[in-house]
Amino acid sequence: MNAPLLHAAPQVQIAGLTLAYDKKAAPVLNGLDWTLKPGQVVGLLGRNGAGKTTLLEALLGLREAQSGSVQLFGQPAAGLDDSARARIGYVPQGSDLFENLTPTQLLAYFKAFYPRWNEAKVEGLMGRWEIPRDQAIGKLSGGQQQRLSIIRALAHEPDLLILDEPVASLDPIGRRDFLRELVDHVINRGTTVVFSTHILSDLERVAFNVAFLKAGRIALQSPLDELLEQTRRVTGPAAEVAQFARDHQLATLASQAAQAGQSRLVLRGAWPAQLPEALLVQSVSLDDLFEALT
Amino acid sequence: MLPIQFQINTGSSEPIYRQLMEQLRRRVAAGQWVAGQELPSVRELSAELTVHPMTISKAYSLLEGEGLLERRRGLPMVIGSAHRKAASGRERIEQLKPTLQRAADEARELGIATAAALALYEQLLNDDPGSPR
Repeated sequence: MNAPLLHAAPQVQIAGLTLAYDKKAAPVLNGLDWTLKPGQVVGLLGRNGAGKTTLLEALLGLREAQSGSVQLFGQPAAGLDDSARARIGYVPQGSDLFENLTPTQLLAYFKAFYPRWNEAKVEGLMGRWEIPRDQAIGKLSGGQQQRLSIIRALAHEPDLLILDEPVASLDPIGRRDFLRELVDHVINRGTTVVFSTHILSDLERVAFNVAFLKAGRIALQSPLDELLEQTRRVTGPAAEVAQFARDHQLATLASQAAQAGQSRLVLRGAWPAQLPEALLVQSVSLDDLFEALT
Repeated sequence: MLPIQFQINTGSSEPIYRQLMEQLRRRVAAGQWVAGQELPSVRELSAELTVHPMTISKAYSLLEGEGLLERRRGLPMVIGSAHRKAASGRERIEQLKPTLQRAADEARELGIATAAALALYEQLLNDDPGSPR
């Protein structure tokens, strides 16, 4: 296994990115900063409409922003040279495949663009995932199209892989096959991966890091295990909860609805062994974090 | 000697690397996994469980630090040589305590009487002892 080069130059560097579809409405991305280091596997979490797809498209240079910059491998995303482009793999949310071509024709077409194209991998996955090779892509099921899109994105062994809801139309077996391929042949190569999905159990397995998109920014990015261990939900009389958070220098990640006079805070930091009797302190799961942070 | 296999639960507040560590500690304390027994490589286990390899290597490294696992150059990791047989009854009881503490807290929250909670625990202990969970 290649150890991730966490000290190496970032593969994605986004600074101050602002993007609005409608000039009068609040921007979808609002001064967003985000850095991905080589070998990081990051799960991107956000509610419906939070702008995950917009962010991933802007990251790839497919959308023009009003301001800010996106750099991939140290180059501006909008003007990547061919060799940098060939290092990227992308599985978009909807199928963007040519419906009239067959899988065989499609793969032959893409192969021409990439100096590094792993024919053995393509053949192996086409067989294992049972994709009809000579039927028009438009006639394939949603799951088959999605698997073909994944094969296309993995075929050239990218250094940066962007997955936008890659498993939405796969059944549980298809999802597990895909995750296994991701763990064993993509993550093990040291590939940088960004993965957006609402299936938190999948994310929990493969994403060592999680990033939460809220109000047009990355509100928080952290290794998931540290976040689970350092975060708890505290409920109790408002003054006591606030005092407790101050005393132990706990950061407030979210404030949630509570009864009058009470408060309910999601706090992160180093927790004392002895907790005050008057407060209800609960550990959190990834579902809870999603609720609190998106 | 039982084969070394792990089970993980997603959606838990316990990170996956901790789940792996706890399972290993319990099996070793029970004498079910013993000194010299080989562990799957990080790569094998991450593929089998479909979890990020760093999650596995984190669990292995921390357990190596505790002496529960031993690393051998170029060979699979093994259960540490100090763990030839089951831990003493007292040590094993200590290991069970946090889980029962949680169960006791929950029983109190649910307002279950002590006798009823004990009866349930006894029944669970006696249920189908040989079957894997």
